[in-house]
Amino acid sequence: MARTRSKGATAPASKGDKKTSSSSSTNNSSSSVYSLPACSTNPPKLFILPKTASSSARVFTLHHPRYNKPTRYLVCPSAGFFEFTTVSPPKSAPRSWLIQPTTSTITTTTTTTTTNDEDSNNNNTTQTIQSPALHLATPYDPLFLLLPALFSSSTTSSSSPTSPTTHQPQEKQKRMFLSLEDHLDALPDPARHLADILHSTPSAREAVEARLRAVCDVVQAGDESMYRVSEARVVREVLGKARRMVQGGEGSLPGSMEERFVRRELEAPVVGGSVASTETVGSLADSQVSTASTAATSVTDGEGIGGGEVSSAMTASEKVVKLQRLRVAFNFICSSYIAPAIAEMLKGQLAKETDLVDFKPLDEYLAQLAKLRQEAAAARTTDFSRKRMADEEADERAEKRRKMEAEEKAKKASMSRGVKNLMKVNTSGMKKMSDFFKKKA
Amino acid sequence: MSQPMLSLKPEAPSGNTPKATPHLLPCRVHHTGSVDPVQSFWDPKADESGTGTAYFRGRKLQGKTVKLPEGYRGIVAVASPPEEPSRRPEEPEVVDLEAEAPLGTLQAQAEFDEIVVWGHEVAVDGAADPYLRGAEEWLALADKIHSYPATTAKEK
Repeated sequence: MARTRSKGATAPASKGDKKTSSSSSTNNSSSSVYSLPACSTNPPKLFILPKTASSSARVFTLHHPRYNKPTRYLVCPSAGFFEFTTVSPPKSAPRSWLIQPTTSTITTTTTTTTTNDEDSNNNNTTQTIQSPALHLATPYDPLFLLLPALFSSSTTSSSSPTSPTTHQPQEKQKRMFLSLEDHLDALPDPARHLADILHSTPSAREAVEARLRAVCDVVQAGDESMYRVSEARVVREVLGKARRMVQGGEGSLPGSMEERFVRRELEAPVVGGSVASTETVGSLADSQVSTASTAATSVTDGEGIGGGEVSSAMTASEKVVKLQRLRVAFNFICSSYIAPAIAEMLKGQLAKETDLVDFKPLDEYLAQLAKLRQEAAAARTTDFSRKRMADEEADERAEKRRKMEAEEKAKKASMSRGVKNLMKVNTSGMKKMSDFFKKKA
Repeated sequence: MSQPMLSLKPEAPSGNTPKATPHLLPCRVHHTGSVDPVQSFWDPKADESGTGTAYFRGRKLQGKTVKLPEGYRGIVAVASPPEEPSRRPEEPEVVDLEAEAPLGTLQAQAEFDEIVVWGHEVAVDGAADPYLRGAEEWLALADKIHSYPATTAKEK
């Protein structure tokens, strides 16, 4: 580690030195060797922050509602809550930052200085940062922070003063009406950051309470509001978010998400090659489709997803695609922000409440699709007369190679000694036997 | 907790934060800190289409400039741990563990409103690069997920 760093540090410097000596117009004489200051011990980081965040914003640590690890959040009294998402490239593509001032002025080199001096100098010097991380602060609904507390308070409430002693250990048991503070006590918040923030900034507290009201049943006890979480309302809230994500149809989800979870999920197995098999599968799909008329439209032949000569056996109707998008969005929220246990429960609740959204057409389509895929897979393995698909081709090639090798071995074994000896001779300059039997040009 | 609460200090003491352009190099540089003078080995040129070209240690790089979305700004900031003496002396309220969470600072050194993502030989592919996707897709999506109605419409 130390060695590579020193290498990296000296290399650009020597390079710079070479160049300056050749151009000989820069500030220093050719004898100069730039020495880099030591690596700063407290590396700067790159943040992308909302413009609305004011100087009274605070960065604080809370346990991530799903992963239960300490995570950084940003809260601003006026702009609300933000979470940090760190972008960093995969190991296979190393990156680093080079921060160049926009009005770059040539500053004479500073030899190693104390970190304090460096900090003040850094404002208008170019610097590199080894870590390629980029921290994005994106709006965050404080509701997600509270969910674990809301759902766990039924089990931990025995410690809180407001809960009566009739508390029962089962998760499904009746939840108590608790004040915000009591809910917060249930949060894994070791440094009490959230409690502090809510205490010191009334606007943040108001925002949180407003969010609580959206998902909880509220009773007034004196001048204090008591909250109890309502599963149905949580589902509604999350579903509302999912709806907002998919608003606008095509292109509302990010491209990569749409491609991977919507298009590929709904894509029927591609059938191509021999006409006969296409027709059997196709007609099969046709008959299935007509029985479940709402599920999918009939086969559209020309417009295959795979493009080219292959065409998919069935395509999803607009409605099915929309439902799938909604489900992807819902699952995305669940898997990013909600603890697995709660997410499971929400999904169950969502399935029950068919008046909110009915996933039946989608489920039917997916069931059909699974069947179709199975059949296609079965057809592929049994029907050898068909032209193979791309993934099988590799298999085939490997088999061929194996066969060839076996053949070669057999050949070698059957060769006479004379032929074997001849193989060692360099025959490149010699005429082949066949040359003698060619027609003269 | 090992991580203290931080307050955001966007403004440099002198008043306005200097502008800078972060370049995301397609290689790892084992150094964190000043690398001036930089002109001799880093001299990006932008052509008319907005694609930058630079030669870094003999390799040709192509850069793609990414503007930050509306409503966002970038800062290069240093987090410093809180000073030991507690900021406010005493508070009457009883908080069980410690009276006051120590407050560190996040001091902005420079500001930026665009980043340049460099790739070897060709400009990076917007669909594959995590930085471009982060800046373009995720910020927009997060807005949608986390916006909540009415009560705090100022969220946006």
